[in-house]
Amino acid sequence: MRVKDGVLKYGFVGPALIFLIAFNIFPLFYNIYLSFTDAELSGGIARLIGGRNYGVIFDDTRYGTALRTTGLFVILAVAIELLLGFALALALQKPFWGKPALTTILLVPMMLSPAVMGLYWNFILNGHYGVVNQALSAFGLFQPQWLTDPDLKLFSILIIDIWMWTPFMMLIALAGLNAIPNHLYEAAAIDRASRWTIFRRITLPLCSPLLFLAVLLRTTDALKQFDLVMAVTGPNDRATQTLSALLYQVMFRGYKIGLGSSYSIVILLIVIAIATIFIRYIASIQAKQGRETA
Amino acid sequence: MPFLELQNLQKTYPDGTRAVRGIDLQVDQGEFIVLLGPSGCGKTTTLRMIAGLEDPTDGQITLDNQNVTHLPPSQRDVGFVFQFYALYPHMTVQKNIAFPLENIGTSPTDIEAAIDRVARALSIETLLNQYPRQLSGGDQQRVSLARAMVRTPDIYLMDEPLGTLDAEHRLELRAFIRRQQLSLSITAIYVTHDQEEAMSLADRIVVMDGGKIRQIGSPSEIYNHPADLFVANFVGSPGMNLLTGQIVQREDGLSFTHRDTDIHIPIHANTAPARVILGMRPEFIRPANRGIPGKVILSEYLGSHGYAHIDTPIGELIMRSTDRLTIGEKIHLHLNETHIRLFDPDTGTSLT
Repeated sequence: MRVKDGVLKYGFVGPALIFLIAFNIFPLFYNIYLSFTDAELSGGIARLIGGRNYGVIFDDTRYGTALRTTGLFVILAVAIELLLGFALALALQKPFWGKPALTTILLVPMMLSPAVMGLYWNFILNGHYGVVNQALSAFGLFQPQWLTDPDLKLFSILIIDIWMWTPFMMLIALAGLNAIPNHLYEAAAIDRASRWTIFRRITLPLCSPLLFLAVLLRTTDALKQFDLVMAVTGPNDRATQTLSALLYQVMFRGYKIGLGSSYSIVILLIVIAIATIFIRYIASIQAKQGRETA
Repeated sequence: MPFLELQNLQKTYPDGTRAVRGIDLQVDQGEFIVLLGPSGCGKTTTLRMIAGLEDPTDGQITLDNQNVTHLPPSQRDVGFVFQFYALYPHMTVQKNIAFPLENIGTSPTDIEAAIDRVARALSIETLLNQYPRQLSGGDQQRVSLARAMVRTPDIYLMDEPLGTLDAEHRLELRAFIRRQQLSLSITAIYVTHDQEEAMSLADRIVVMDGGKIRQIGSPSEIYNHPADLFVANFVGSPGMNLLTGQIVQREDGLSFTHRDTDIHIPIHANTAPARVILGMRPEFIRPANRGIPGKVILSEYLGSHGYAHIDTPIGELIMRSTDRLTIGEKIHLHLNETHIRLFDPDTGTSLT
């Protein structure tokens, strides 16, 4: 029996479409709806209360603090990961003995679960028995309270994030470096370019679209930082409370579904805004290089 | 002192491939040298060693009285035109051409003047603000030539620069290179596997095979007096007719014959009776009333002329002909005796 093309078409696309609607599109719109209600997890009838939740957010001092914490975290994490990752990629660019093994080892942190890594680093950074402070004490050095000192907590989470995600930057940067054809380096050598000129005018500009893409992916991801905060300090620590942690605190500890939903919408808008700026920028440099836009 | 001298130049790659097995060559200033040979003959490797893009395993390169054998490219004054252009994709045509000048600290006004000059010479003035990817292959290679020429280096090295272009652009750029060479008398080494290109451009052709030089000579020397069977066969399209046989002494002098036939071709060369290979270019064979009998087995018509493959008792001969011959036609052939070349069948070297 012949199946009509139209039927077949929906047969292929249908399951994915249903999945998308059920788990992505419907929750998004339901979330938007909830953000305009006073819904609570403890029950009761949700009533539409207009934009009052959004007013609450902007009056909440925790919101401003979380925004600052998140911003600081994102900027430092992404910048340091980019610099370290790119430096590692440059070091790994040329073949040498043991390179494949070393590359694999360097990629391991990226492949582990953030929650597990958070708990694991809890042990490493523990003020009393952690291996870091053990080592410091062996040399008679000052032992910072990594996980309890309010000035250090965010810094500790930052270290873990950098440890986890520098390999990702390195991987993308390596792909970018390997995509530069060798004959361009040969042409530059013939054209008497110095090593610094070659790096600045050949390597960096040809690598940059991929680096920006990596920065975009890491930025949107770091903006949602939650698991490490949860594992290291818990969601309600003022020194480390990121936007996602605050959202969790409001929604699942305070049971305020409506208010939490509006928090999630605010985070979503921030991520979309930043991503849009980045994508426009990447497209513009690619257009400048005469490439097809992504 | 020659301007460029290669002495026993050798290159063995780490995997054991012996790409170049001892090259000796002397190039004078203003000479246009073409390295000609089939792919894998070591011509590109030789060129890259002169540029400094490959490090020689053995031997010496002297350029302008300086031993440059192991110097990096940036410390030699060479221009290089790559087969696949190697333009910087993220720079405009203008930036591409300016790049080599910026690296040696030329002032912006001088750079602008220099770009103006080469852009006019290569008729790429209108392309200056475009990116390489927006250009055709021919235009990209023009830009690549401009980038090499903007700096007036000691020597130009060109690695099959026309190899990837279509026929129209190839002829146009070939003529351009020839004109530049005639008007500026640049010193250049040009690599190609295209003999027509080699013939039209070279002051001297260096025929290479198996990592060694087979013959060095002017285009007419290479064509008319090939040093060995390889050159005889490789140069010319189609190559030389090669017939195996022997030279025998007859009452009227020496003659070439084939063991099973009574066909005799008079030989006027100063040689002794021996087994030989006789070489004859297709254009020196023509139909005649008497001579070697044969039958047309293939006829290729090319417009201005054609080639006929003739089966004869002494072997298959290719004849250049302006008439169209029909397959199966029986004809007689006359070989122009003054253009007979003889080769030693064991060593392959020329006896004439």
